[in-house]
Amino acid sequence: MIEAVLFWLGSALLVIGGVFDFIASIGLLRFPNFYVRLHAATIGTIYGAVLPLLGVSLIALGLPELNGRFIIAGGALATAIILLIIAPVGSHILAYAAHKSKSIEWNPVYDALEEDEK
Amino acid sequence: MFEYLEYLTIIAAPFYLGAIILYTLRAIKGPSIPDIVLAIDCIAYDLAVFLALIALYYRSPIMITPSLLLSLWAYLLDVFVSKYLALRRVEA
Repeated sequence: MIEAVLFWLGSALLVIGGVFDFIASIGLLRFPNFYVRLHAATIGTIYGAVLPLLGVSLIALGLPELNGRFIIAGGALATAIILLIIAPVGSHILAYAAHKSKSIEWNPVYDALEEDEK
Repeated sequence: MFEYLEYLTIIAAPFYLGAIILYTLRAIKGPSIPDIVLAIDCIAYDLAVFLALIALYYRSPIMITPSLLLSLWAYLLDVFVSKYLALRRVEA
């Protein structure tokens, strides 16, 4: 009983994560400049990678006849936790470096970081 | 429940593969270096999920290890590219 609940919960997380990932990729392709694309990319990493990895972990726990299921569940859970930490840090440092190197062409209404650096 | 697992893979895999194709288009088009790095990050995280799905589909626990390494590799790429961009060692 509990295995079926874990399996279907994980399946729902996996499919929802796939939909989120596809939407984020469309956003990354269509949005106008880098800082707006960063929004789509972080949606693609948190909802499109961390959520499905948790789903894979639950699916592996819900299949008792799977050989070595605890290895798959633990590996997927560890990857999800590590991604939850490093994906926001990576996008923050990338945004900081992009602003610092002035490599992005954009027309902001007001740029407070630019004002501070003057 | 293994028969449902095959249907689940058939349903879920096209989303991830299509997302990888669109990310690749952005990585090719990308007007600046941070765009390319961001797209490659997304491809790496997406491939990590896809490897986990493959590990379930082929029932081999050894396939889960590269997904951890791929996510750490993408973070390493972020850190190094940001370092050289912020120090203005490269012209972006």
